[in-house]
Amino acid sequence: MQLDESPLELLRAENEQINPAIILAERLMRREAAELLSVEEVNEAEKILAIGTQEIETIESHQKAFQKSPASAIDYVPVGF
Amino acid sequence: MTGLVLATAEDGKPIFGFGERLVHSLEYLRFKAKSHNALYACETVSRVVSEQHKYRLYIEMFPKDWERSTKSLYRAGYFKAYSERTNEFFQLTNDKRFPLLEYWHDDPDLELERFAIPPMNFDLCCEEVDFAHLRDSYLAGLIFYFLEDAEILNYFSEKYGLDRESLPPIKTAHQNIWKEKHGAKSKPFSDLIRLVDHSTGNPWLDITNCQYPDLFEWDKETVDWLTEAYKAANQYFKNLEQLDRRIEEDAQTFFCELISFWNTGRVGSEGHKVSDE
Repeated sequence: MQLDESPLELLRAENEQINPAIILAERLMRREAAELLSVEEVNEAEKILAIGTQEIETIESHQKAFQKSPASAIDYVPVGF
Repeated sequence: MTGLVLATAEDGKPIFGFGERLVHSLEYLRFKAKSHNALYACETVSRVVSEQHKYRLYIEMFPKDWERSTKSLYRAGYFKAYSERTNEFFQLTNDKRFPLLEYWHDDPDLELERFAIPPMNFDLCCEEVDFAHLRDSYLAGLIFYFLEDAEILNYFSEKYGLDRESLPPIKTAHQNIWKEKHGAKSKPFSDLIRLVDHSTGNPWLDITNCQYPDLFEWDKETVDWLTEAYKAANQYFKNLEQLDRRIEEDAQTFFCELISFWNTGRVGSEGHKVSDE
């Protein structure tokens, strides 16, 4: 991470993807609970959970950075104004 | 009956009918309404994995009950964070293995990802000595911990004519009483003092109400270990029966031997020490 990068630049540099926990949760909710998950599936779920949680924390840290950013004027008038 | 419960076939196995499918669908729709919420998705994954872990444990520990079960895998049970099936697993553990659903666990909002066990032993720090319910031998063991309180010895004087004046004075505990191995004569005294002292190594006997409870994991090794420890804890109390009989037969000799063991680490009245080592 470059210290001189703005919160916006840092956010733009992040990978854009749907949180993998959402995709896994969808898959788990569709399956029958009586079909037990295998050990491999549980391990995979735990990995995805770690990634999903990490992603949430990353987003929260970006949000905090934005909230701390001072307001600054732009050098053009946005369309509609 | 609402008609939404699970039907069972002639062989007793559940038929996952309309009711169960409906509950599953409602559960899915509830999830879909929040499906783009990553936090909720993480919670959902955790909950499903946790529940699956408990289903696996249920099958491993109580396979016949699992096959016969008609409890829903989706509808929330008494403990709201878990399905009726998982609640059934908790109940079976309580009924067939060890007390689980009492003492700490009486709140339906509770999460039982890890669990505490209730203490089985008398609490030295905050309980009143209960003369009506404690065994006589256990009360005898308490004399070393309530030295300033004559109430226990008075109880034995009144009940068994114990002559308190002729008992040897109680000194500091001899370090040998904590030895792992004892002979046949001193072993019952050693067991009694370990029990009263909460030093048995058995969690059911050593924990107290006043300490933050140890939390146990839901895995087969832990559940099996706690099951065996629970049986051993009950055996500990059962073994006190023989000491109770000795008090009934000759309380004076019993107390002389017990105090001698405490003072010297050996069995035998003061001045007539009989070592069984």
